[in-house]
Amino acid sequence: MSNENATTKGNVLQTGQQKKKGNSLLNLLASNTVPIMFIIICAVCIPISGFSPAYLINEILTRMGRNTFLILALLIPIMAGMGLNFGMTLGAMAAEIGLIFVSDWQIYGIPGMVLAMIISIPISMLLGLICGKILNAAKGREMVASYIISFFINGIYQLIVLYMMGSIIPIKHTTVKLPRGYGIRNTVSLLNMRQKLDDLLAINVKGVKIPVATFIVIGLLCLFIVWFRKTKLGQDMRAVGQDMEVARDAGIDVERTRIISILMSTVIAGFGMVIYLQNMGNLSTYSSHSQIGMFAIAALLVGGASVDKASIGNVFLGVTLFHLMFIVAPSAGAKITGDSMIGEYFRVFVSYAVITIALIMYETKKRREKSQMAELLAAEQEADA
Amino acid sequence: MKNKITKRMLLFRCGTIALLLLIAGLMFIVGRGHTVYFDNKKVSYDGKSIDTPPYRIDVYVNDERVAKLSAGDRGMCSWMGQDFRMRMEITKEKGGKKQIANVALKIPYNMDGIVLNLPALLAGFPQDGYLTEFVPAPAEVTAEDEEIVTDEFGLEGLDDGMEE
Amino acid sequence: MEETKTKTFRDRIASFVESFGVPRLIIAGFLLALFIAAPFVGADLPTQISNTINRFCWNGILVLAMVPMVHSGCGLNFGLPLGIISGLLGATLSIELGFTGALSFFAAIVISTPFALILGAGYGWLLNKIKGGEMMIATYVGFSSVSFMCMMWLLLPYHSPNMVWGLSGKGLRTTISLEGYYNQALSGFLRIQIGNFSIPTGALLFFAFMAFCMWAFLHTKTGTAMTAVGSNPSFARAAGINVNKIRMLSVIMSTWLGAVGILVYEQGFGFIQLYMAPFYMALPAVSAILIGGASVNKATIMNVIIGTILFQGIVTMTPTVMNNVIHMDMSEVIRIIASQGMILYALTRKSEGGKS
Repeated sequence: MSNENATTKGNVLQTGQQKKKGNSLLNLLASNTVPIMFIIICAVCIPISGFSPAYLINEILTRMGRNTFLILALLIPIMAGMGLNFGMTLGAMAAEIGLIFVSDWQIYGIPGMVLAMIISIPISMLLGLICGKILNAAKGREMVASYIISFFINGIYQLIVLYMMGSIIPIKHTTVKLPRGYGIRNTVSLLNMRQKLDDLLAINVKGVKIPVATFIVIGLLCLFIVWFRKTKLGQDMRAVGQDMEVARDAGIDVERTRIISILMSTVIAGFGMVIYLQNMGNLSTYSSHSQIGMFAIAALLVGGASVDKASIGNVFLGVTLFHLMFIVAPSAGAKITGDSMIGEYFRVFVSYAVITIALIMYETKKRREKSQMAELLAAEQEADA
Repeated sequence: MKNKITKRMLLFRCGTIALLLLIAGLMFIVGRGHTVYFDNKKVSYDGKSIDTPPYRIDVYVNDERVAKLSAGDRGMCSWMGQDFRMRMEITKEKGGKKQIANVALKIPYNMDGIVLNLPALLAGFPQDGYLTEFVPAPAEVTAEDEEIVTDEFGLEGLDDGMEE
Repeated sequence: MEETKTKTFRDRIASFVESFGVPRLIIAGFLLALFIAAPFVGADLPTQISNTINRFCWNGILVLAMVPMVHSGCGLNFGLPLGIISGLLGATLSIELGFTGALSFFAAIVISTPFALILGAGYGWLLNKIKGGEMMIATYVGFSSVSFMCMMWLLLPYHSPNMVWGLSGKGLRTTISLEGYYNQALSGFLRIQIGNFSIPTGALLFFAFMAFCMWAFLHTKTGTAMTAVGSNPSFARAAGINVNKIRMLSVIMSTWLGAVGILVYEQGFGFIQLYMAPFYMALPAVSAILIGGASVNKATIMNVIIGTILFQGIVTMTPTVMNNVIHMDMSEVIRIIASQGMILYALTRKSEGGKS
């Protein structure tokens, strides 16, 4: 009975998709509103800002190396239909704990990064598991729940880092520890790790530094994601993302698949955070992670992704456009209004506005599809009768 | 059949964990960093002493000059791992000819900071004579406690989160 | 016989715990422990209690603003910053237009009303378009509007020397003192002071009045229709209720209460905070009402009162008591974990009623 139900639902889905193909050009334009808007903003701001092309390219390459890995962490939960994973902050926190230890143990350079990543894995997995379980209990509200989870775990992170490190968890060096004997300082210097990955194999072309090793690491992750989509687990995830009930009828353990997707995202975000912080060269213990999720999500959406669909291409387009805007907006804003703060606020506003618009588009589309499907179902039932 | 798969999975997982632990252990050895301080100072050890350090010593690590030491100076650099290598260009007296010395030595794993007395090293003293652990000056008694900005939501980060 | 008796007793405890919720029980127990411990560790109980009451008055209406939207099924109003912005516009315009003293408070309410109505209507229209995804979008509508207003506070042509930056003479300051305006306008009214113990009668009365109005409204025909829309929209539609209109009304009410709420908060706090300050003001209000026993689609005035007392009690009590007991000020961390944990707990409950 339930199987039959599932097949009719599948048929309806297909017919729905066929119907959609008719006005694909319009859809294409509509679904790319955000990138087009951004291209226009950048096109206006770049000449006003007065930056040289070499400077811009250099900046974008740096920021691309810094952020792309983090943004790629968002792709897998989207594939599993769990929306934008605001809980990627959890992975960032795990990475920060790893980096604090590595910094205290005085492990330098790339070995330090690798060690921090390895330390972050079990922490990320544990946090990802918790996050996945909670999101399974909050089906249909995954995004707002994952968003609150990031605040909740931030509280626990503070409990550990501010009170337990140095008192229960041994921390030796006073450069890391607060003078009062427990807790970690506001900033932990990662000077011995700073841009060690970026400088490895780096090529300098007319003053533009290309961090080749970082791009290779990012490329490997892209290959992994492409490969992963084709595995059994990847296929399952896409099935779950399409329709949970159909997937369940097909014998997929929906809950487990969803947990795995969040878990993977958290671990990747942890790695990404290590790469991000090695580029920055210091760790703001209590704030580095807090805005990571927001900026990564905004960048992905700027690249033309939506809540239920995102590709590697979206990531690269997004990171370029978003960071181009981030670089030029303050200076352009200052030149137009004479106040440098305007540009600062403008780019923050644009980041939030982009996420808002993408969320609204997603929800309206979902509603439209729902009503379309209901219509089709009704029509089919009428035909049957 | 299913049992076989889970067994393989288990093996695979154990293997992955073992591999990660192995890499982590390796990183501990390879990545252990030290701060090396160079002294171009007077030294005495075991009855022998050097009273006139060279006029000037240039220290090169990885083909990069990290210190330019006149007599009585101290320089420093960071080094990863325990096999420390450096090249010194020694000028005995002002206007004198440069002498080049390549030095490789083992750094004890558990020392964060190491002080090398270069004249002693060049004079061929035993290890205890030229290598001492760097003990950071005891923290000032009135070390003021740092104000912690926990910043629950990262509002501070909003403006400069993406800055260098 | 005896076995069944104990079983029913245990069942009753279990069902009580079930209905009250474990996290809520922990929080209430924690606050109780704080109050018991306070005198032993040398904290001044009357001061603590008056602080709690004071903070209750500041925040009560912001929490009350959650009620209409929860009732109409729009979920928790994470978009409260929109209402707060209306309130801030009212506050700054009232000062700009030269109102002073307690009068400026009422002027601020009057001026903020049209903003709240317009913004609330737009917000309500939007939420009607995206039924089912309200909470996430509400959050980001709040964020976008706050960051948009950050630019506006700099650009709008304000001139009052008490509000703009002294040097450039334009752009509003981040915090504006309310001294000479409506500082303590309500709290100072009929204040009762016995030693260290003080009761801000005016503010309490104002809250009671607003809460009563809300209670009365929920018992009018429109109010019951709102509850019906929230608990079973298809039934409500069948009964001839215009669901969208009712939802819109609830959003406007929430927004307006948010505007009034921030003004009440400011009169107690003594300062207007602009720019990034309203960003996360929704979260304490949301967790307060949830701690008080509300769920994503059910909230009563009693939930508001209990929740605000519990939440503000913890906020005021933990720093002093914790500091005295273990010499570590862990209050911030405890507050974060308790309040965010409470929101998470509520989000993971299966929504009762016919909300699809």
